[in-house]
Amino acid sequence: MSFETTSSQPPLLVASDVSKHFTLRRTIFGRPLTKVRAVDDISFSLQPGETLAIVGESGCGKSTLGRVLMRLIEPSAGAVTLDGVELTALSNRDMLAQRSKIQLVFQDPYASLNPRMTIGQTVGEPLMLHNVVPKAQRAERVKELLKMVGLRPEHASRYPHEFSGGQRQRVVIARALASEPKILVCDEAVSALDVSIQAQVLNLLKSLQKKLGLAYIFISHDLSVVKHIADRVAVMYLGKVVELGETRKIFSTPRHPYTRALLSAIPAAHLGHGRDTAAHALAGDLPSPIDPPSGCRLHTRCPHARPECKAVDMSLDVEADGHANACAFWKELPQTDDLLGKGRATDPRLAKLFAAFSNPLPEGEQAPC
Amino acid sequence: MDASNPPPAQEPLARDDRASGSDGAVLTVNDLRVCFAGDRTTTTAVDGVSFTLRKGRSLGVVGESGSGKSVSSLAVLRLLPTDSAQISGEILFAGQDLLSIGEKQMRNLRGNQISMIFQEPMTSLNPSYTVGDQVAETILRHRSVSKAEAWTQAVEMLRLVRIPSPETRARQYPHNLSGGMRQRVMIAMALACEPQVLIADEPTTALDVTIQAQILDLLENLKSTTGTAIVLITHDLGVVAEACDDVIVMYAGQVVESGSVEQIFSFPQHPYTVGLLGSLPRLDEERDELVAIGGTVPDMTQPPAGCRFAARCPFRIEKCAETPPMLEVNPGHTSRCWRTPLEELADEF
Ligand SMILES: Nc1ncnc2c1ncn2[C@@H]1O[C@H](COP(=O)(O)OP(=O)(O)OP(=O)(O)O)[C@@H](O)[C@H]1O
Ligand SMILES: Nc1ncnc2c1ncn2[C@@H]1O[C@H](COP(=O)(O)OP(=O)(O)OP(=O)(O)O)[C@@H](O)[C@H]1O
Ligand code: SF4
Ligand code: SF4
Ligand SMILES: [Mg+2]
Ligand SMILES: [Mg+2]
Repeated sequence: MSFETTSSQPPLLVASDVSKHFTLRRTIFGRPLTKVRAVDDISFSLQPGETLAIVGESGCGKSTLGRVLMRLIEPSAGAVTLDGVELTALSNRDMLAQRSKIQLVFQDPYASLNPRMTIGQTVGEPLMLHNVVPKAQRAERVKELLKMVGLRPEHASRYPHEFSGGQRQRVVIARALASEPKILVCDEAVSALDVSIQAQVLNLLKSLQKKLGLAYIFISHDLSVVKHIADRVAVMYLGKVVELGETRKIFSTPRHPYTRALLSAIPAAHLGHGRDTAAHALAGDLPSPIDPPSGCRLHTRCPHARPECKAVDMSLDVEADGHANACAFWKELPQTDDLLGKGRATDPRLAKLFAAFSNPLPEGEQAPC
Repeated sequence: MDASNPPPAQEPLARDDRASGSDGAVLTVNDLRVCFAGDRTTTTAVDGVSFTLRKGRSLGVVGESGSGKSVSSLAVLRLLPTDSAQISGEILFAGQDLLSIGEKQMRNLRGNQISMIFQEPMTSLNPSYTVGDQVAETILRHRSVSKAEAWTQAVEMLRLVRIPSPETRARQYPHNLSGGMRQRVMIAMALACEPQVLIADEPTTALDVTIQAQILDLLENLKSTTGTAIVLITHDLGVVAEACDDVIVMYAGQVVESGSVEQIFSFPQHPYTVGLLGSLPRLDEERDELVAIGGTVPDMTQPPAGCRFAARCPFRIEKCAETPPMLEVNPGHTSRCWRTPLEELADEF
């Protein structure tokens, strides 16, 4: 099963029926006793230059899926194809060569940089590893990469502790870009940053995408960030994709009860939001992924559950425009209008003040990036 | 059980009316300063912070990481290391200055009339007792009930903070629970004593949005049923808009703006707040590019003279080399900026 966007280009990445089951306990004969179905039978495709967000509650399998796509974790079943090459069929050695095309940026810019390496060494390492440019040109290329992410070339000789959180995340991105990838998997890449710094990094990711035609798998629990950056969104629940579609449609006309619950729970930074969580709220807590509920996995918490839900399968029902969801009864659910509420429009004078922040700063010491 | 019902089996506590002044102020902080003495340098973490917390209202505290939000609240509870932290100013609660009362008296107030939910839940639970015991212990300290009754109430508290199967969970240890559940246990403990002041430091940051919504409803409910005044420290402006009545915005150890949620979200009066609002992706509006506040926060071992935001401020003028005072721009809405009201500035751009 696959969901193509209307684009005529061949997809850059295709995941077909991908699963990852972690074995927690085995019998003394090595037969698996307890398994977590962290990723269960997921299919989708990603176009060049596209951003696909993966959202869902903690533990639903987002990071596992991201890592399986890069074959940092071996899938238990299914295939991942990148640029026509089936990654899941490659030897480890051949995989190494493909790794340059898909790179990971993860949450903590503090933990992901080696404190004893200069920024230049950190960014230059993949150049050497993947032999991207001849040795003589490496230093020059490092400087270009630093400029690309809005740092200064002379920063190459400095160490991570001399940089702010946002600057460090830029270094991590420069390093990920060094091997000239086609896809960046961003796993909570802005979640640990202050909002003002998060904005710098989001703007950077958008502009790099325009310039380099990069595609992103953008894993995040922050739905307002996702709405800002993604073209399409996949919503996961207990290892399953329950809804997948264009960002605009996911946010304006969510089909699946789980998506509705997530959206109605977002606190919104505008007044007059008038959130009505109650109508969409889920009952109880996330069940254990070790022994997920039968049938539709949401049935233990779904406000619209009926007895049949215990036995339905969770295959996706795809509409003509590609919007897909896994609720067997979605056509019978009440209409959703205006789940997010209407905020007050920004005062035009305030909008002008916002714009002033993108002007160069007045004379005097300049901001470093 | 529905979150809109108060926990059963529990008498409403008699309120000490001396605790709130005539203007409803429960806690008043005046010119609070906290410095940390290092080997060679001194860090000014909090530099002249003042705010008033009123009965039955919640005050949101927002600001850049490192701006002194946690240190201010730890100072209120007198939980800062006594050897390195130098504290001055006034913290008025129930007619006395918390900075001058004895340690024993302070211990009585702490986790009783004033309680706190900490930023890191794991470090604040005791790993060797079950979570039920820890909540029951808090209840025993504050209510005259039998041990059995305290346990029943503890289970009820766990149910109230939406811990599933609370009877079973109550018998488990902190390490058996997920991070989100531990955070909810912390919240249950803080609520168990029906404090007059609850200070919550990023209480929902580690939680999923669906649970966060439940916890925010719970805090709202606590506020309206028991009149508890809440200080909510958060970096999430969405949480502030939804859960708070008033806001203070901190930058480099100072309060730079203060007002009602309505005032600050409709037209902020400090350039840092303007940048902060602009940097937020909105759900109800398309924003092609977000505001990115260039530069970094000043080094607080040597705070700059004049306005502390000047190096990053697009509205800077010569006068900004002088320290701006807190100016009232509209009734109840103050800002530490020479160029207020900012509405007038917009015409220049
Ligand atoms: N190496 C592993 N061994 C066993 N179980 C694992 C392993 N890695 C992940 N899991 C389990 O798989 C499930 C999915 O985990 P994953 O880290 O992918 O979730 P996530 O959606 O990224 O969550 P978060 O938002 O908290 O990062 C969880 O139940 C987790 O406990
Ligand atoms: N015990 C301590 N000793 C020395 N310096 C400290 C101590 N605690 C905090 N600081 C410093 O005081 C300043 C304010 O820290 P604080 O924890 O209040 O920030 P915050 O506003 O809560 O930030 P965050 O949003 O990251 O939690 C920081 O520069 C911090 O490094
Ligand atoms: S199939 Fe049933 S339980 Fe699952 S989402 Fe639809 S209505 Fe809810
Ligand atoms: S005082 Fe000057 S530098 Fe400071 S925030 Fe106001 S305009 Fe900007
Ligand atoms: Mg993850
Ligand atoms: Mg803090």
